[in-house]
Amino acid sequence: MIEVKNLTKRYGSNVALDHVSFSVEEGTILGFLGPNGAGKSTTMNIITGYLSASEGEVTVAGHSILDEPAEVKKLIGYLPEMPPLYMDMTVKEYLDFMYDLKKVKIPKEKHIKEICNLVKINDVYKRLIANLSKGYKQRVGIAQALLGNPPVLILDEPTVGLDPKQIIEIRNLIKNLGRNHTVVLSSHILPEVQAVCERILVINKGVIVADGTPDKLSHDLSSDHRLIARIEGPEHEVLQNLRSVKNVIELQSFGEKEPGVCEYSIEGAPGKDLRRDLFACCTRCGMPLLALKSSDLSLEDVFLRLTSDSYIPKSIQHPAVIPSESSEVKEGGDEA
Amino acid sequence: MTAIWRRELRSYYYSPIAYVFMGVVLFLFGVYDFQVVMTGSSYYIGQVYGIMFTWCMLFLPALTMKTLSEDRKNKTDQALITAPVSVTAIVWGKFLSAFTVYLITLAITLIPAFIIGAFSDPTWSHIFGNFVASLLYGAAIIAIGVFISSLTESQIVALVGTVGVSILLMLIDSFGSMLDNTFFQTVVSWISFQARYTPFTNGIFNISSVVFFVSVVAVFNFLTARRLESRRWS
Repeated sequence: MIEVKNLTKRYGSNVALDHVSFSVEEGTILGFLGPNGAGKSTTMNIITGYLSASEGEVTVAGHSILDEPAEVKKLIGYLPEMPPLYMDMTVKEYLDFMYDLKKVKIPKEKHIKEICNLVKINDVYKRLIANLSKGYKQRVGIAQALLGNPPVLILDEPTVGLDPKQIIEIRNLIKNLGRNHTVVLSSHILPEVQAVCERILVINKGVIVADGTPDKLSHDLSSDHRLIARIEGPEHEVLQNLRSVKNVIELQSFGEKEPGVCEYSIEGAPGKDLRRDLFACCTRCGMPLLALKSSDLSLEDVFLRLTSDSYIPKSIQHPAVIPSESSEVKEGGDEA
Repeated sequence: MTAIWRRELRSYYYSPIAYVFMGVVLFLFGVYDFQVVMTGSSYYIGQVYGIMFTWCMLFLPALTMKTLSEDRKNKTDQALITAPVSVTAIVWGKFLSAFTVYLITLAITLIPAFIIGAFSDPTWSHIFGNFVASLLYGAAIIAIGVFISSLTESQIVALVGTVGVSILLMLIDSFGSMLDNTFFQTVVSWISFQARYTPFTNGIFNISSVVFFVSVVAVFNFLTARRLESRRWS
């Protein structure tokens, strides 16, 4: 449905997007994840035609945004980071205006009523937008994006400013919309993406660093290289011995969990299985190993790791995480 | 385009801008109309519209200052530009809404003429000539104002900038006569609004002036559209 090829955006000498490529299948909910300033909004602004790319190409349902902007814009409902609301209008006037602006063909009154029911803004329908709370403004922004039932929805941080109850409502709404729409949503809130999206794209400093389902991402990155172990013996001695194990890069004690037994988190170099070496070390030093399990990284850890400065996306490290199409991206990641 | 035109027009009348503009312009018109036509017992309406030229040139920037700068500041331009309408349609919608407020204001200035017309026989061609000429230079300065508004996020900058251009356009004739350079004087006579407008107050309907003002509108609306387009590339 959406095809993004080698998208690059430069602001002067500053590179906001660096050869970003991905595609979104019809009917999927794609989560766009990244810290502030990673290039999420820029990508969305380019897909919707608000900004133009310095290089690269975007096509939506086969139409190029450069050659047929009007066609593409008809297919997309867009909620920008800051909802584009006219403060001097009532909700009704605003939705009427957006309906006309988008040249929607569906019967007007019925269509607007349906959308108001969907995002629950009926009770503020006749109020001035300037007087609405942040949450309601956000919902009016979502309503505006839904006008005309566009097959593609692009939502830039759709739940910002909502209270927890509203967040759940909007998430459910987006999930429902995902059944017959293609949705791209951006967020820097992980649980949100985890709860709503079928596929996650992690972007950092203008480069895609990971692509996959939430489960796949956390599984691929955790594997066997981070272990939780319970080892009997004096804490500082055990730590000292563990440091001698090959490939250990990070060691942390969680303190005494049973009498004389401490719990440790042992992290090895990515892709290295530590279990055998660890076992050998414990036997050699006479420290009874009482428990050993691999710890799955939470998505939060994955995110922090992917977006940290030291992370270099190399397909050798995590072959499953980096899709083949973005293999050229990894060079860009080195400078990031 | 009509959606944008209607929205902008509504926003003029929901805010005090349109009322203040119309109030001030019509008050001044009333004062001069009274002085010239009533106390002066003159039928020469051109004199009234002639004075109003200066005032309108100064007040019209108040109508155009927010047209595009406000959208940019409030990010509502994202809704306009990502909607399936062309930038040209956006610009013309904005231009026409400000022009409509001006048109309504000017239309009201015809009321005294109609009242007089009920009791006597004024020279209608003279009155409408002045009316059309006022519309023309008004449209031109509105197009320039919309363009300046597209250059900035600040309404104040747009206002001051457009007023500055208005004043420059009014003073440019005296610049021409100050310098004894025929080339410079020719250039000034090309740009001068005053020189194009004055024949109308004398009852001469000058086609080349009509073409001039219409061209100014077309050129500046084109430039504004290019400006909106170029912002996407910056």
